[in-house]
Amino acid sequence: MRELVIETKDLNKKYRGRYAVRNLNLEIGRGEIYGFLGPNGAGKTTTIRMLLGLIRPTMGSIHIFGKDLRKEKLNILRKVGSLVEYPSNYGHLTAVQNLEAVRRILDVPKSRIDEVLSIVSLTKDAKRPVKGYSLGMKQRLGIATALLGNPELLILDEPTNGLDPEGIHEIRELIRSMPQQHGITVLVSSHLLSEVEQMAGTVGIIREGELVFQDTISNLQQQASGGFRLVVSEPAEALQLIRGQGYAGRLEDGGLRLDQLSDPEVALLVKRLVDHNHAIYRVEEKRRTLEDIFMQVIEQGGLS
Amino acid sequence: MGGYFKILASERLKMSRSFIVLLLLLSPAISVLVGLMSNIEGADQPWLVLLGVMGMIHALLFLPILSGIFAAFICRYEHHGGGWKQLLVLPVTRTGVYFAKYTVVMVMLAIIQLLFLGAMLLVGAIKGIDAPVDWEIIGRCLAGGWVACLPLAALQLAVSLMWSSFAAPLALNVVFTIPNMLVVNSAQFGPYYPWAQPFIATVPGQAMEGGGFGAMNLPLENLMVTVLGSFVVFLIFGWTYFKMKEV
Repeated sequence: MRELVIETKDLNKKYRGRYAVRNLNLEIGRGEIYGFLGPNGAGKTTTIRMLLGLIRPTMGSIHIFGKDLRKEKLNILRKVGSLVEYPSNYGHLTAVQNLEAVRRILDVPKSRIDEVLSIVSLTKDAKRPVKGYSLGMKQRLGIATALLGNPELLILDEPTNGLDPEGIHEIRELIRSMPQQHGITVLVSSHLLSEVEQMAGTVGIIREGELVFQDTISNLQQQASGGFRLVVSEPAEALQLIRGQGYAGRLEDGGLRLDQLSDPEVALLVKRLVDHNHAIYRVEEKRRTLEDIFMQVIEQGGLS
Repeated sequence: MGGYFKILASERLKMSRSFIVLLLLLSPAISVLVGLMSNIEGADQPWLVLLGVMGMIHALLFLPILSGIFAAFICRYEHHGGGWKQLLVLPVTRTGVYFAKYTVVMVMLAIIQLLFLGAMLLVGAIKGIDAPVDWEIIGRCLAGGWVACLPLAALQLAVSLMWSSFAAPLALNVVFTIPNMLVVNSAQFGPYYPWAQPFIATVPGQAMEGGGFGAMNLPLENLMVTVLGSFVVFLIFGWTYFKMKEV
């Protein structure tokens, strides 16, 4: 049984009669990178703010490291690093001073400031006021701040928002290295699947406040198979034959479109067609991309 | 208490390198000018008269306005860059944060009072006042002026926590400070008006020619009951609000 770092039970947040988050049951295991996906406004940030104790749930419970957030908030927060929405900083201070302001509260050794600055490669610009930073640098400073207290859990809300491709790549590599190098569990939210699939092992997809999918990326990928396409010499007759065998299919773009089949079924079907003198030009598996599945989940609220 | 002293240390760093330090000098500097221009020759109690002259603008205008500025300023950098989120996800309690912020405001005001005392002594030395300094009255007036800022600072802090704008709490503060000159004339309303309380506590009637006016001659004890009462109300109000605030 895997050890859960974050576990929410029937988490609800209601604003003026409307549910921003509804019956949310998150399960995030130790050492995982958990991709928290959903379109803008689906309730990702609201959930994260609840996880961090910034807002109170209307109903439901949150356990982090197996402790109740309501009862042991400070003990939990001591071991959590976070970046919520856009990066927070004090513009009139330098990066070092920004980190020092947080360090005084966390009570970690001063050397830790240099360490986190080098992790996010900001050492060179550390002595400049933050108001002159680019968005990417501010984002990295935010991550450095999140790492300052040697957290066991990192919660990053849209950490690559507004970054250029190079910045996105850097942050992604940084996040990917967290579980291996530092043993940190990461919850990272995004509205882009392509973002998350490159780093996360597990994904949770939230839509209109409800969790509609929660499983590993590989399980999501397995569901990505979307049937077969056959290109044959006489499609119309071949279709009749296939239907006669009890399989569903339809004509599409001059080929035949079949539902998902097991390997022996495919072999048998091809054999039958060959026996009936059909020339077979192509047998293709139609893979849906994760993006297609994601869109389907988002639009229909689940996998069909 | 929820990391109160650690938060204070952090606040001190955040305050540094900002124009706010200059504001500390503003009122004492202007008071020096006012003091130098005054005519206190032949006064029975020259120090008390000096207090009346220099304390006029300081307590009537600067103390209430600066209370508001400090309260707004200490919230400004949190409202501005998403600082509340960064601060409140740290292992701190909201109570700790609230009282640390309030402490900073009151410490700033205490520094101003000390600088003002220094300004008085400076003017006294320049003017060559040879009477001994009446520490008891002056000390009581300056300390009383500071205590009288407690409710106003708590009220302004509450408003500044609520409004993410920097200018709005300040505008509100100035709007309520300007009628001070009228309000202090009223012995009936003056003591209950948070913006007038610093002046009433700082400048005693006997410091004025002709014995002062309006609320100035009320016994300090009565004023302090009102001040401390409203202080507790405003402080609890701001504290409860901040504890419930959604960040």
